[in-house]
Amino acid sequence: MLVLRPVELTDLPQLQQLARDSLVGVTSLPDDTERLREKILDSCASFEKDVQGQGPENYFFVLENLTTRRLVGCSEVLATAGFSEPFYSLRNRHFTSASRELNIEHGVPALSLCQDLSGHSLLRGFHIDSALERTPFSELLSRARLLFIAAHPARFAEAVITEIVGYSDEQGQSPFWDALGKHFFDLPYVEAERLCGLQSRTFLAELMPQYPIYVPMLSQAAQDCIGRIHPDGQEAFDILEREGFETNSYIDLFDGGPTLYARTSSIRSIAQSQAGTVQTGSPIDARGSYLVSNDSLKDYRAIVAELDYCAGQPIALSAEMCAALNVTDASAIRLIAL
Amino acid sequence: MILRPVQMTDLPALLDLVQRAGPGFTTLPANEERLTHRVRWAQRTFAEQVERADADYLFVLEDDDQQVVGVSALIGAVGLREPWYNYRVGLTVSSSPDLGIQRQIPTLFLNNEMTGQSEICSLFLRHDQRYGSNGRLLSLGGLLFVAEFPQLFGDKLIAELRGSADEHGCSPFWDSLGRHFFKMDFSHADHLSGLGSKAFIAELMPRQPLYTCLLTEQAQAVIGKPHPNTEPALKILTAEGFAHKGYIDIFDAGPVIEAPVSRIRAVRDSQSLVLAIGTPDDQAPVWLIHNRRLENCRITTARARLVGNSLVVDRLTAKRLQLQPGSSVRAVPLLNQQQQAVAA
Repeated sequence: MLVLRPVELTDLPQLQQLARDSLVGVTSLPDDTERLREKILDSCASFEKDVQGQGPENYFFVLENLTTRRLVGCSEVLATAGFSEPFYSLRNRHFTSASRELNIEHGVPALSLCQDLSGHSLLRGFHIDSALERTPFSELLSRARLLFIAAHPARFAEAVITEIVGYSDEQGQSPFWDALGKHFFDLPYVEAERLCGLQSRTFLAELMPQYPIYVPMLSQAAQDCIGRIHPDGQEAFDILEREGFETNSYIDLFDGGPTLYARTSSIRSIAQSQAGTVQTGSPIDARGSYLVSNDSLKDYRAIVAELDYCAGQPIALSAEMCAALNVTDASAIRLIAL
Repeated sequence: MILRPVQMTDLPALLDLVQRAGPGFTTLPANEERLTHRVRWAQRTFAEQVERADADYLFVLEDDDQQVVGVSALIGAVGLREPWYNYRVGLTVSSSPDLGIQRQIPTLFLNNEMTGQSEICSLFLRHDQRYGSNGRLLSLGGLLFVAEFPQLFGDKLIAELRGSADEHGCSPFWDSLGRHFFKMDFSHADHLSGLGSKAFIAELMPRQPLYTCLLTEQAQAVIGKPHPNTEPALKILTAEGFAHKGYIDIFDAGPVIEAPVSRIRAVRDSQSLVLAIGTPDDQAPVWLIHNRRLENCRITTARARLVGNSLVVDRLTAKRLQLQPGSSVRAVPLLNQQQQAVAA
C-alpha cells in the first residue's frame, strides 16, 4: 500500500535521494541537505500553523510504500506564490505595430518579465520514482494536493498555477536558456537552475532583463521552446490538464516551459470530489478506482483505493485502507474517481 | 568648380547623378516627380520663404563647363515636422555581486534627441570627379555656408552615414531587427524611407530598449559601422570635429556623427576677408571661399594668399564667386593645420 502524507524530518535522507533523481528544472527540490532540512521544517510548521488566510505556508508531501518504508515520490503546494520572495514569469504578449499610412499592421510577440502570478497558489516539486510513472500513484501524488486544497480551502488562493519543466536536451542544454538567460546570467542552464533551488531568488531580479524581449529576435530553436514541455514533464502536465488546468500567456523565464492555470473552484478534483463517512467491517464490492483522503491537516493521508461508492452512502473501507488513511468508523473522508 | 544652390534647370543632370548613385542613396530617390518637388522646395528655401523646420538647402557642384557633377544638402532642422528617430547605443549591466556575475550588455534606446538639429545629407560626387579638392569642396562648402548663416541652423550639425550592407543592398542589422517589425526587406523599407515615409516606418519600430546580445552576430558587428562608400566623407567630417557619440540609424545601424556648430573647424577658423585679385603662387595653400550670399551663394576652392585682411586669388576664382575685387568673402583654409603639414 502506497500512502501520501506530510513530510517529516526523518524523511530527510530518502528525500535527498529523490531530489538527486529529480529533473533539473524542478528547482524546489535542491540536492542539498541543509536546504531540504529547512524545507521539511518549514512544511511541518505550515501543517501545524493555525491559519486564518493564505500566507507563506508550503505543504510538502511524500509518497511512501508502507511495506518497505521507502519514499517513492514527493510533491508540494505553496499557499501563495510570491509571498516571501518574488515570483517571476515571462509574459508572452503581442505588441501591435500599426501604420495607417503604410497600411501595415501586425503583432510582434514579446516576452516581459513580470510578477503577475504572485498571489496564486502554486503546485510544485512533483517527482515520482520512474517505475511509477503513468500509474494511479502518479495521479495520487499530484491530485492529492488538490484534495488537500478542497479540504482546507481557506488556506489557498482562488486560483492555482503550476510551472511545467521546459525543454532541455539529454546533455542538459536548453535552447531557450542559451538564447536568452545565458546572456544575462553568464551561467550554464543546469547551474542556473541549481542556484535557483539553493539561493534566494533575489538574484533573479538582479540579473533578468527588465525590457521586453521580442520573440522574433530569438533563435528559431529558442522560439520553438516557448511553451514546450520537457519529455519527463509531460505526465505532470497531462494530469493537471485533465483537471481543467490551461496554459496561458506565461512561461518560465529559464527554460520557456508553460505555466498552467486554473480557478480553484473549477478544478475537477476540487469541484467534483465528494465528502463522505467511513464504514468499516463491511465487504467491498469494488466497482471503481478512487483517490481517497482524510480531511485532517497535519495527519493528512491519501491513497488509491478500489471501492464501491454510492453517493450519499457511507463508504466501506478495508482495515488496511483505514490504517493507511489513519481513520476509523464514521471518520470524514473525501474521494474522487481516478 | 563651384558649389551653388540648385536650380530648376539642373533637373536632368540631377536625375542622371542620382541614378548613378544607386539604391543606397535614399535621401535623393531617382524619381523625377520627387526630385522636382525637392528642387522647387530648395529654391524657396534659398529665397528665405520657408521656416527652419522645412528648410532644405540643396547644393550642386558644378564645373567650369556648367556640368553638374555632385550634390549635397543641409537640412535646417530635423524632427520638427515629423518625429526623427535614432537609437542611442547605451549600456545595461546585469550584475549579481553575490554570485560574482557582471554582464555588460550594449542596449539600443530609441530616441528623438536629434530633434531641432541640422543635418548634412544627400552627399554624392560622381566617381570620375573624385580627385583634387572636389570631395572637400562638396563636403565642407556647406559648413562654410553654416558659418556665414548660423541663425538658419541648429546648435549642432549631424550626418547620418549609410550603414553596412552587402553587395545586394541587404543590411544585416535590418535582417536581425527591423524586418521582424515590418515584414519587408531592407531595400523596400529604404525605398519607402526615401519617399518620405521614414517617420511612418519608424512608428512600427519597437518603443522599448533592445538588448544587442539578442541580435545576430552579424548585426551586432555592424552597429555604428559606416558603409565603405561613406568612408571618404567620414574622414573629411571627422577632421572637421565631427564625432560618433553613440547614435545610429534605426534601419541599418550606420553611425550618426555630430558636431556643435561652433566647434566645427571650418566654422570656427573661418574669417571674413576682403577679396583681392593677384597671383597667388603655386605653393599658396588652398582656401575654401564663400561669397557670403544666400540666394546667389557661390563657394569654391582656390590657392590664395593671405595679406593682412586681404585674400589674394586669381581672376578666375573671383569670377567663379561672381565677385569684384574689394568684396567681402568668408574663407577658411581647406585643410586643417595638421593636414596642411602632411600635404606639405
